[in-house]
Amino acid sequence: MIPELLIARHFWNNAFKNKALFILLVFIVFLLSYAAYTGWTSFVDQNEITSGFQNQARQDWLDNPDKHPHRMAHYGHFAFRPKAPLSIFDFGMESFFGNTIFLEAHKQNAVNFSQAGFSTSMLRFGEISIAQILQILLPLLIFFLGFGSIASERENGTLKIILTQGISWKQLLIGKSLGMIQVTMALYLPVMLATILLWSMLQNGSISLDQILRLLLVSLAYFIYLAIFCVIAILISAASKTSKSALVSLIGLWLALTIVLPRASQALGTYIYPAPSKITFQTGIENDILKEGDSHNPNDPHYKNIKDSLLLAHRADSVQQLPFNYSGFIMAEGEKISARIYDQHFEKLLEVYQDQNSFSKTMAFFNPFMAIKNLSMTLSGTDYNAYIDFQRQAEAYRYAMAQKMNELQIKYISNKKPGPSDKPYIIDQKHWQEVPEFQYRPTGISAVLKTEVITFLAFIFWITALICIIQLMSKKLNVN
Amino acid sequence: MIKLAFKNFISSNGVKIGLLFLLITGLVSVIIGKQFLEKQTGNAAEAAVFQKEHIARNVQYHPKEIGLLLYYIKFSLINETKPINSLSIGQRDVNSSIQSVTIRGLEAQKYDADLQNPSNLLLGNIDFSFVLIYLFPLFIIAFTYNIISEEKESGTWKVAAVQSNNLFGLVLRLFAIRLSAIIVTLLVILLVALVVLNIPVDGRFFLLLIMSFLYILFWFGVSFWIASLGKSSSYNAVLLLSVWISLIVILPAVVNSYLVSKYPVPEALETTVKQRKGYHEKWDMDKKPTMDQFYAHYPEFKKFPLPEAEFSWLWYYAMQQAGDDDASVEVAELRKKLGLRNTASIGIARFIPTVHMQVQLDEIAKSGLTNQLAFMDQTSRFHEKMRLYFYPKIFSESAVNNENWAKFKVETFSDNTPVSLPGAIAPLLVFTLLLAALGWVNFRKNIYRW
Repeated sequence: MIPELLIARHFWNNAFKNKALFILLVFIVFLLSYAAYTGWTSFVDQNEITSGFQNQARQDWLDNPDKHPHRMAHYGHFAFRPKAPLSIFDFGMESFFGNTIFLEAHKQNAVNFSQAGFSTSMLRFGEISIAQILQILLPLLIFFLGFGSIASERENGTLKIILTQGISWKQLLIGKSLGMIQVTMALYLPVMLATILLWSMLQNGSISLDQILRLLLVSLAYFIYLAIFCVIAILISAASKTSKSALVSLIGLWLALTIVLPRASQALGTYIYPAPSKITFQTGIENDILKEGDSHNPNDPHYKNIKDSLLLAHRADSVQQLPFNYSGFIMAEGEKISARIYDQHFEKLLEVYQDQNSFSKTMAFFNPFMAIKNLSMTLSGTDYNAYIDFQRQAEAYRYAMAQKMNELQIKYISNKKPGPSDKPYIIDQKHWQEVPEFQYRPTGISAVLKTEVITFLAFIFWITALICIIQLMSKKLNVN
Repeated sequence: MIKLAFKNFISSNGVKIGLLFLLITGLVSVIIGKQFLEKQTGNAAEAAVFQKEHIARNVQYHPKEIGLLLYYIKFSLINETKPINSLSIGQRDVNSSIQSVTIRGLEAQKYDADLQNPSNLLLGNIDFSFVLIYLFPLFIIAFTYNIISEEKESGTWKVAAVQSNNLFGLVLRLFAIRLSAIIVTLLVILLVALVVLNIPVDGRFFLLLIMSFLYILFWFGVSFWIASLGKSSSYNAVLLLSVWISLIVILPAVVNSYLVSKYPVPEALETTVKQRKGYHEKWDMDKKPTMDQFYAHYPEFKKFPLPEAEFSWLWYYAMQQAGDDDASVEVAELRKKLGLRNTASIGIARFIPTVHMQVQLDEIAKSGLTNQLAFMDQTSRFHEKMRLYFYPKIFSESAVNNENWAKFKVETFSDNTPVSLPGAIAPLLVFTLLLAALGWVNFRKNIYRW
């Protein structure tokens, strides 16, 4: 057997002699089961609730009697946000996302009812998901297991013996790292198997290729992530005089990587790129719409132009003589303008958010924790982009619905204004089903991955960097 | 002797760097707090200007019908942000501090979310409460984990044991030196915060100060007790960090998910679906039941009979009111459950000092769920007040010009519910005393045997 593997096996055997390890393992397995249980139940409950309400809202829409299409445009519809299957693994930002958006004509509403809005600050300490345990607690466990790997051999003199037996520093570092990785896998593999089991039970038998790819990539990414920490533990242990100083350095590093840096990088982004308040955002939209054309003002040039050209084209003297419903036509125009302006402002807002997030994203090069956090959320469909995507799809649906109602009004509603005691104009309720049901379509994995190119590069950077450091250190390390 | 020990402690590079790091993050937290405060006051000022312009513009557009005008006009209520709020931002970044409502159905407006970048919310703020709750304990651990064990490992403990006739006093002095360095750092940060953020020195601030002291004492208590077990430095470090992780990462998350599943709020979605249906279906119904329902809710408006015309504002607002009324059971249930969630979390927090500290800081700063619920309740009252003011004017078709619209300024909700002093300090005090007592017993038993 080659020396690296011998060292690895020795490490493995030693690790399992440690009683404290078993206590920690039992504890982590208990936490993992709890995380899996809460992930599972919240996925099942939440999706049951949202699909129930989604169906009810649809039924309510279809059950509407004959009425004026514009009344239907205000009756509107709801979009309920479904959870992604892998959210059982990584809760990501789920708790901070709104769950419901009311879709109606003229108005882009907020996505309401986030879990966070109904929580105390307790939520802000973080949640326990399987991903969270793998990201935060496992590296610490690795550090606890690995801090003495070489430093304690140095302390008790066995290091000298090993090195005089013809084993090189490089072989030692690689062997110990392999052993560490092997021990970590003993915990990691069962966790992933359990995740796969739970996840496949959730798919009701129809597992898409997209989902399989996501899961494979997640598994691979976590493997690399944990391996990085294994190597770091061994390297720092090798560079430390005593196992105590190795432990203190590793704990300090762990705290910086998982607790301090992530907050600091996001706080920096938010500080440098302040986002507009809701009032500023809405006033900006309102002002731009007024600039473009004010449908309330009878002398507004934009709408006056439309009116004049319509009258000219149809050789009419007044809008009442037009062969179609004039106010429906104007509303369709107004919707078009306001939706376009809203989109422009929304995209601008998203740019500010992207800028805010850019620090945390680039941080992946300094901090593998940020790399895995971002990638894991993205693959699990619980990240920022998944949420924005939901909002975009909801807005597209809202626009299509509003314009469909305007179209029905233009086509079927008389152009004559009803008198004060006339019954309002109505159309047949059969038209309501012409609007399709809202269905959220999650983005495919290829589009998703494009947003995480930087994270992939960061992983590659980390792997190369650690290999280089092993090379360098094997030449520079001392026995004492 | 103590002077020398202090010099020894403070001259260590690790200690200098540690204290400096704490001080710097503390100052950063003050800067972040200042930005937060400025944003909040800026938003409030903006809301005031916006409301003035918004009302003036709409009065100009809709000068004929007051019913139509009030369909459009929004009135804002602001949840006051006190300067001390910037020390503990709490849930204020999740929940909007401004509610803008028309007198139409309240339930369709009350839960409107703020514009947010969810990444910011997920990773959280670096406010003073973060520095105090997360970082201070870490440096307390770093400064104390090897107080005795280090000397034992280097063999100097034996010398000290032979020379000193009051070893326990020596231990106490070593802890006191570290405690004083940490407390001075805390005081410097708070002093800077006081000046930079213009925080009034009142009972609220003193409570925050006392709580911060106690929280630091609690962590010294933990470390004192663990030192009393007489284990090695590495063992102490691992044990202390495990306590930290349990209190900061694991327990809060477990308790939170327990509370969420114990008090689920499907009523939130139910409310929103119900109020829409409740209002909209009235358009297609006979007007009489809607009006009967309305008159039953507000008998005082029976004097306004329904006009003959196909459409009237009285009927319109009766329909809007029906949306709220039809959802009222769910609304009450939702409010009740959120209240339960809040009291339960404050109750359980008493047993988890870190969470207790955060919850209490939020109570002092008025930035927690308690404040949010109070603000929502106040929004309902505010909305009702505006409704009742305008309903008779709309129903009697009062002229738009009869109203002095400039008088409708934004209103401010000032949450002044006092924080219970014993409730806030007792849990920390009990834990600290317990740990100190346990440590003391251990030291008495073992200190000369090591």
